[in-house]
Amino acid sequence: MAEIRKVAVIGAGVMGAGIAAQVANSGAPVVLLDIVPPGAENRNAIAEGAVAKMLKTEPAPFMSKAAAKLVTTGNIEDNLDLLADCDWIVEAVIERLDIKQALYAKIETRRKKGSVVSSNTSTIPLAKLTEGLPASFARDFVITHFFNPPRYMRLLELVTSEKNDPEAVKTLTDFCDYRLGKGVVPCKDRPGFIANRLGVYWLQTAVVTAFDLGVDVEDADAIIGKPFGIPKTGVFGLLDLIGLDLMPHINASMAASLPPADPFHAMNRPAPLIERMIKDGFTGRKGKGGFYRVNREMNKRREAIDLASGDYRVQKKAQVEAIKDAGKNLKKLFDHDSVFGRYAWTVMSETLSYAAMLVGDAADEIGPIDEAMRLGYNWKSGPFELLDRIGIDWFVARLEKEGRAVPPILHAAHGKSFYRIENGQRQALTLAGEYRTLHRPEGVLLLADIKLTSQPVLKNGSACVWEIGDGVLCFEFTSMMNSLDAEIVLLLSQTIELVKKHYKALVVYNEGANFSVGANLGQALFAANIAGWNEIQGLVGLGQHAYKSLKYAPFPVVSAPAGMALGGGCEILLHSDAIQAHAETYAGLVEVGVGLIPGWGGCKEMLARWQTLGKIPKGPMPAVSQVFEYISTARVAKSAAEAQEMLILRPGDAITMNRYRLLADAKAKALKLAEDYKPPEPPTYVLPGPSGKVALDMAVESFVQLGKATKHDKVVAGVLAEILTGDGTDPTETVTEDRMSELERLGFMKLIRNPDTLARIEHMLETGKPLRN
Amino acid sequence: MTRTVIAAYARTPFTPAKRGELASVRPDDMAAQVIAALVGKSGVKPEDIEDLMLGCAFPEGEQGFNLARLVSLLAGLPKSLGGVTVNRFCGSSMTAVHMAAGAIACGAGEVFICAGVESMSRVPMTGFNPMPNPDLYAKMPAAYMGMGETAENVAAQWKISRREQEEFAFRSQQKTAAAQQAGKFVDEIIPITGRKGTVSRDGCLRPETTLEGLAELKPAFNAEGVVTAGTSSPLTDGASAVLVCSEDYASRHGFDILAAVRSMAVSGCEPSIMGIGPVGASRKALARAGLEAKDMDVVELNEAFSSQSIASMRELGLSETQVNLDGGAIALGHPLGATGARIVGKAAQLLKREKGRYALATQCIGGGQGIATILEAV
Repeated sequence: MAEIRKVAVIGAGVMGAGIAAQVANSGAPVVLLDIVPPGAENRNAIAEGAVAKMLKTEPAPFMSKAAAKLVTTGNIEDNLDLLADCDWIVEAVIERLDIKQALYAKIETRRKKGSVVSSNTSTIPLAKLTEGLPASFARDFVITHFFNPPRYMRLLELVTSEKNDPEAVKTLTDFCDYRLGKGVVPCKDRPGFIANRLGVYWLQTAVVTAFDLGVDVEDADAIIGKPFGIPKTGVFGLLDLIGLDLMPHINASMAASLPPADPFHAMNRPAPLIERMIKDGFTGRKGKGGFYRVNREMNKRREAIDLASGDYRVQKKAQVEAIKDAGKNLKKLFDHDSVFGRYAWTVMSETLSYAAMLVGDAADEIGPIDEAMRLGYNWKSGPFELLDRIGIDWFVARLEKEGRAVPPILHAAHGKSFYRIENGQRQALTLAGEYRTLHRPEGVLLLADIKLTSQPVLKNGSACVWEIGDGVLCFEFTSMMNSLDAEIVLLLSQTIELVKKHYKALVVYNEGANFSVGANLGQALFAANIAGWNEIQGLVGLGQHAYKSLKYAPFPVVSAPAGMALGGGCEILLHSDAIQAHAETYAGLVEVGVGLIPGWGGCKEMLARWQTLGKIPKGPMPAVSQVFEYISTARVAKSAAEAQEMLILRPGDAITMNRYRLLADAKAKALKLAEDYKPPEPPTYVLPGPSGKVALDMAVESFVQLGKATKHDKVVAGVLAEILTGDGTDPTETVTEDRMSELERLGFMKLIRNPDTLARIEHMLETGKPLRN
Repeated sequence: MTRTVIAAYARTPFTPAKRGELASVRPDDMAAQVIAALVGKSGVKPEDIEDLMLGCAFPEGEQGFNLARLVSLLAGLPKSLGGVTVNRFCGSSMTAVHMAAGAIACGAGEVFICAGVESMSRVPMTGFNPMPNPDLYAKMPAAYMGMGETAENVAAQWKISRREQEEFAFRSQQKTAAAQQAGKFVDEIIPITGRKGTVSRDGCLRPETTLEGLAELKPAFNAEGVVTAGTSSPLTDGASAVLVCSEDYASRHGFDILAAVRSMAVSGCEPSIMGIGPVGASRKALARAGLEAKDMDVVELNEAFSSQSIASMRELGLSETQVNLDGGAIALGHPLGATGARIVGKAAQLLKREKGRYALATQCIGGGQGIATILEAV
């Protein structure tokens, strides 16, 4: 099998359906089958219901409505023949060996020769699953363990056996990597594989220790959260998300399959409070509440459970002195003479020791363990990276002082670090105490790696510029949340001059959680508060100039967003020659939320796209109406595929599914464009003028009457309508790009002087939420 | 003066815009099929037809060019007849009937097809390029006012409660469903064949409607308002046609005449309360006929909204026993350009069926107009 073209997923539960959706998101057709519900009229009801439900689920499993159409639904009694042309068959049915094996026997009779069959099991070993099945089946069988939700969680644990054909494993790995965008982590055939083996141990330790030491859930989550680069849900918040009722099952399965000497057993102690909560339906967010809840009877009061009494009480803000005292110094946190210091040490020393113990057991090396926790549990750093931060010798010394066991790899690491840079290359320590060079797979280029071995070619307080090879520069935002400010605009202008002289192309890219959340509102508000109108107008003009310089520079500019690209961040995409977007890109012009309009060319660029590329009726209004709708409602694309539908991405732009491959793909695109690059011709516009403005005003008025638009929405939409309709123009005239820029500038200045706009900005800065004034 | 008669009536099924079965059918195809069928079933000689007068409220896109001429060619009618597209918004195809009656009266032809069509799926209300006159809008915004807002205005001015509107809508649904069940639409519906197969049944009806369900709907046009989707006619796709000819011609050819045109009228009103349009127009037509509302055995009053239907009936002194015997637009649907020919044809058909003497067909028109036609038994 050279390529996976079509996939089948059997089992349309949350995981199976989610996997099918992600396969469809990759553009591959997928068959989704489940059982025939007893007595059902519609024999495909389960699979069909799963697709229908996913179309309504938020966050959405599908990246576009078109993707949903790639799913063919059916049932395993009537439709097994649909497996005949599938290259990969994923089993995601209930965790029962007998049921899985019976299904495999059926699959074996229908599947194409050489197709891969995999199980999404999280608990049953591969060896058990293939027991008693023909050799031909065992040869093609692996475990592919996805994380929930499959679209958003990047980890895919892959368990293979020596019976597998290495070519087939490579084909499957490539499909999961390139097409599904997953970080494929090879695991050994051990219980819980890597992420859940360690993750469950960590959660269980944190829970029992909180009971033991009497630490409140808010404090526990604050400690075992941000200080360690762990998501702020910490432990109890995460359990609420997973579902408390799931934990006894997972714990029981771990307890049954781990050897008696495994430290897990010591941590797997019953918790009467949790048992009671599950019995009473307090199973977490999906139930009546969990460790936290929103009490609707008490005016949506946020509450947390008291671990000692078992009663809900008002949720408090975690007040942990130890965190403040320690700052970024984890040793100081562990040494803090308080219950919190002891909690941090107990939970994390147990967890990190357990991680060290897994080297040679769940995985051969440290790398996959770190990667599994980063991608499967969203830890910023894996356990071994954390140990490097803490200091291995200090950590071991304290373990020894406490008379605790020290896993072999910690001994091997004495006087060393787990990771190091040697001759410009990243290396990792092995169990044998030697370093092995880590090679990124072909087509993976990370700015993080480049930073380890080089210095920026340009830099200021808000941005950096890096050489990424082959004559390409990478422009990186480094400001808070990658917000755009005068410094960025300034460095952009300098970068353009530099590329003109010495380079071939520019890529705009960064490795933050979000490409950019938009302009720095704090700066704008400050300037407005001191009536610095000239400064603001100057910055708007400067931004327009810089973005236009990017667009018309004599070299190609490729933007490579991932995460949010909002407002000014979206406008930079719109001015690039091409966009190479990560599939999880959330782009949109959201300025109206703070009472403004896109002032750095967003209006004119979207209008140009819709006038030339939109599949819409002719005439001066349709493009204007479409762009007006997007901007006036602050519509954000919920995926790169949706951004394509909104024409933020144009036909020549492309989507990268795997986050690791984004920069390399963007660079390749930039080099390709550089081969025979010509800057674009400026667009011209035919716009409806005042008649069109009236039509848009009328539409807004109907929303006001319906209570869907506020008083200030109407003001902002009015200014937007004026810009998009070309102000005083007439459909017989042509409007230039510069005139559109001028209209944006004037509109922006009109709005930023409006007290209601300033109130919106202030509210957004204070609360992070839009003010509906 | 030569008397004008309605000699035959046909329509497509009416289905909801965007989600209905006719959404995938081009409006010109829809109209052509219904007209070809009308010609066939009436037995009229195609070469005798003077003109095809086709009403359409948003004649652009697939409804653009001179739609009437193109539909005539699509329907396979002889090249010898004329074709004119008529626009008086919702009153378009009733206007076509009036134009034909006028022409017959002054000897400018004997046989006409008066039809109407609207695909609200494929050509949006307000069209693709709405460009109102800024000066007029500044001076008189109501000239462009949305229909929902006018329905709210009528409800407020005539003090029609939400509950009263819902009861009217509920009865409309019940009457229409009963008529459908009893097969009363079978004779008038021409099955339409499109890309996705043949459509032969009305699709807008909501026979499961309850008063409780209606009471739960959110206002559709104004957060504080009393008009909901349940008390408004739905956006609809459909076409309709009537064969209009001189009484002499019909008699000569042995047609089964449905009714004769007794009088006609149009009138204007305040655009902001356009729903009251039927009142002025009906009064004029009644006066011209020397009749009174109580003389009407059958009334077809287009139910654009419950509020304007109730207000118009109240002002004209009509009782619900006279009005919309087989149901109305709230349940059946209101494809703008097609409604006028439907209610004239329906009124004529009912007059004959109910063996009545006089019938009134009347409707309101966006922008502030009303139109009315009085028919009499032959």
